Amino acid sequence: MLLKDKVAIVTGGTRGIGRAIVFDLIQNGAKVLFTYLKSDESAGIMLDEIKEVNGEAEAIKADVRLYDEARKTVEEAINKFGKIDILVNNAGIIKDKALMMMEPSEWVDVINTNLTGYFNMAKACIVTMMKQKSGVIVNISSIAGVVGMPRQINYSSAKAGELGLTKSLAKEVASYGIRVNAVAPGFIDTDMTKNLKQKDDLIKMIPFGRFGKPEEIAKVVTFLASENSRYITGQVLKVDGGLAI
Amino acid sequence: MVKTDRNTLENDLKKIIAEIVEIEPEKITLDANFVEDLGMDSMMALEILASIEKKYKLRIPEENLTKITSLNKVMELVDKFLSK
Repeated sequence: MLLKDKVAIVTGGTRGIGRAIVFDLIQNGAKVLFTYLKSDESAGIMLDEIKEVNGEAEAIKADVRLYDEARKTVEEAINKFGKIDILVNNAGIIKDKALMMMEPSEWVDVINTNLTGYFNMAKACIVTMMKQKSGVIVNISSIAGVVGMPRQINYSSAKAGELGLTKSLAKEVASYGIRVNAVAPGFIDTDMTKNLKQKDDLIKMIPFGRFGKPEEIAKVVTFLASENSRYITGQVLKVDGGLAI
Repeated sequence: MVKTDRNTLENDLKKIIAEIVEIEPEKITLDANFVEDLGMDSMMALEILASIEKKYKLRIPEENLTKITSLNKVMELVDKFLSK
């Protein structure tokens, strides 16, 4: 139980990597408030699944693109669980296209959700964490933000922006006992990657010869959220099967 | 909630602020700007807010952090939340 009695917020918690993170935090003893944008039904099913393993969780429908909703999420976590120890910024979208075809609105949408959403949640949590003189923020970035990916200039830019946010904030709040790190997943088997074209070619680029599993990201998030990583801050941990060596 | 008169309030707040900003309490006039006149950094505003919350057993929402700019403003803030 690496996270016994810790309170965590996970954004975008009902699908893909976010879902795996919620379950891993729960299995390690944390109480989790997760956000979702669309499906009340899948959030409800997930809460039932968590109850079955005797976990404690709460779900809230929130649009992280809006600061007021980010604040509301944080207030909900404090009202329900009394504090915030861990923030996992995970909610993200893709709108992949070649730059010449990309609409300005597709740029803005992806930047707003992926980058501004992370800012909103971090800002909404930070005063509470500073007063506590403790806290951990884990930002789920992407290998796209580290090496760049074609037809993803919106997504890659947002993901690289998250790394800047991670490093700056790590320096800003270290003296308050708050750690801020990023995980940069490679290709992971989720809804986000299921429609990727030329999957076989992509697999050839990965030294491990396969896509990763959401659980393999979640384990790293739990490590970064736990005391086992207490001297690590401002880092970008690539979890990509060797893709970006 | 702690009841207190204005002079006591003013002196108590001066003491809190002086300790955090590390200056003489006499330098904290009602209108002295914390940042420009007294050299406070933005992180100290949070410590002032937290100390006030603790002393007066208040909960002041963090949106008020930007109002921590002078003793006058801080007194207004404390008055407002003490009377709630």
